Amino acid sequence: MQLQDKYRIAILSAYALALHGFESLIPMPIPWIRVGLANIITVAAFILFGFRAAMMVTLVRVFIASLFTGSFLGPGFILSLGGGVSGILAMGFVLSLLPGLFGPVGLSLIGALFHNLAQLFLAYILFIQKIEPVLIITPVLILIGTVTGLVNGLVADLLVKGLKNSGVTIQNTPQ
Amino acid sequence: MIKNSYTLHVTRYTSKNKCTSRVTAVTLLTAYCLLLAVLCSCSPKKESLYRKTMILMDTVVTIHVVADSEEAADRAMAKAFEAIGKLDMLLNFFSDKSELALINRNAGVSGVRVSPETLEVIEKAVYASEQSGGAFDVTIGPESSLWNFVTRAKPDDKAVSEKLGLVNYRLIDLAKEKSVVALKKKGMLIDLGGIAKGYAADRAAEALKRHGIKSGLVAVAGDIKAFGLKQDGKPWRVGIRNPRQKGKDDEILATIELRDMAISTSGDYERFFIIDGERFHHILDPRTGYPARGCQSVSVMAKDGVSTDSFSTAVFVLGPEKGMELLKHLGFEGMIVDKEGKIHITPGIKDKIEFKRNS
Amino acid sequence: MSLKETVNGTTLGDRILFILLLIVSFIGIFFMKEVLPQPRDVTIEVEGKLTHRYPLDTDRRVEVGSPFGHLTLEIKDRKARVTGASCPNKLCELQGWISRGVIICLPGRITVTVGGSEEPKDRKVDAITG
Repeated sequence: MQLQDKYRIAILSAYALALHGFESLIPMPIPWIRVGLANIITVAAFILFGFRAAMMVTLVRVFIASLFTGSFLGPGFILSLGGGVSGILAMGFVLSLLPGLFGPVGLSLIGALFHNLAQLFLAYILFIQKIEPVLIITPVLILIGTVTGLVNGLVADLLVKGLKNSGVTIQNTPQ
Repeated sequence: MIKNSYTLHVTRYTSKNKCTSRVTAVTLLTAYCLLLAVLCSCSPKKESLYRKTMILMDTVVTIHVVADSEEAADRAMAKAFEAIGKLDMLLNFFSDKSELALINRNAGVSGVRVSPETLEVIEKAVYASEQSGGAFDVTIGPESSLWNFVTRAKPDDKAVSEKLGLVNYRLIDLAKEKSVVALKKKGMLIDLGGIAKGYAADRAAEALKRHGIKSGLVAVAGDIKAFGLKQDGKPWRVGIRNPRQKGKDDEILATIELRDMAISTSGDYERFFIIDGERFHHILDPRTGYPARGCQSVSVMAKDGVSTDSFSTAVFVLGPEKGMELLKHLGFEGMIVDKEGKIHITPGIKDKIEFKRNS
Repeated sequence: MSLKETVNGTTLGDRILFILLLIVSFIGIFFMKEVLPQPRDVTIEVEGKLTHRYPLDTDRRVEVGSPFGHLTLEIKDRKARVTGASCPNKLCELQGWISRGVIICLPGRITVTVGGSEEPKDRKVDAITG
């Protein structure tokens, strides 16, 4: 990994962490529903610098956020890690298998979908172990994930284009 | 135009590194599977509940075990059923071939050399007889064989009083070192009906433990022995039958959680007939030869089934007041439904017992 | 650079995927509601201990008290709601009528559950003595 990549990942992770922290301040009607603002950075990182950078940013965010909140290796951490990694992997696979079919919004939607599915799977295996509550919650989470995925994708797209337009030097160095 | 530059990036990215990206993809997928496996293994091993029912000792025997595979569960359960089957062979009151029948046939004649199991259960039965002051008497056989709850035949009073002299546990001669049991009077009969099922539950539970089962429940009819916690981390939950069940919804009077404990219930509703409004049931008072009148049902909890089985009968015969005293003296827990249907419980299970609201 | 431009810039794949996900989740939500057994009763727990259980098909009003507060539970038309709670923020009252789910009165440590099939299953006994 080049030094420059490290800087990028560090900066993006910092942004992601900031959004992550900001989001936890917003009160939610139901506690386990999250907008996933940090995923804006993940999607942007994925588009700008590719799969590896996005993965690094997510891993850094998940680990550091869990250290901040004291949930390291706890249930919340396992769910975040599983969901985050699955989301990015799904995005990576879709992009490499079907390049050009989806733009940032589509990729974000796929990321959100697999993020949720992985979390539900992990929650079922590890914590709930009853299929009924998982089945009830699955379509609801997919719906919420679709809406937040759309918003995050659009914002990420705006962000990427904004950055490119504003003359900030971004080297499109594929890895 | 901007969008184009983005797509350009994507296409360039994929076309240039098609081969490497494949390799990376496969590597990552493997890593991901490993991650999931690791995350899953963080949870305790996934265990399931297995259950099997067999007819043994003239009753329904159900075994529940928590095991990580069906094979492990089957193996242990087979051994447990085998243990009960062996006891059935040794202790069956009605079979001519059992050791018990041999002892009874030789009453007043000679002692009989018996297997360790038979010796132990008779020893425990004598202990329960002593502790209860004869309210439970293992030599109730001559009286109990006068009653037939299938043909609803009530014996005549003369026969009952004649046989009373044969009911006395003190006339059992136990030679422990030689494993010999003798009955001193001709016509005496040991009836293990009030203790063998509880003992069988204990032995089956031991067999399960010996074969690697950490958590299980053995129910020999209403004599239940439970150990360990269920796969969901909760104790085993046992329902206590309502002695005066009216419909489908009031089968259970209360539920209680069991962990490394046994429970037995003696009730006047199990085998009985009613003549002129009077209920004649199978729990006979050894001192009168007639059904005991003080209770509808008695449940006793203790460490092992051999104690709960015998002492639930003893407490039933003693009635609510004296029965409570006996439980207190022994340090056992229990619930008594007296003849009016009033419920008495020992203080120790106040928080563990849960009564059904609508019954 | 505007939002409109960005929306217009989405690919056909993006749009189809979005619509598809919406349809799937709506069908899923509808389907799950139909398939799952209807809740049968309302249970009240105080400090995690079951204290009351009422069938959902009988309309009634119940006063529930705990050492920390009290509330009134109303059951009507297979729905339940909490009124007259002693807590200052009245969050439990704001939840209104529910036909499935949980109302928690945190200050009073009272939980009202309009139960599905789970609760009774949990209460099922493993064996019966007697």
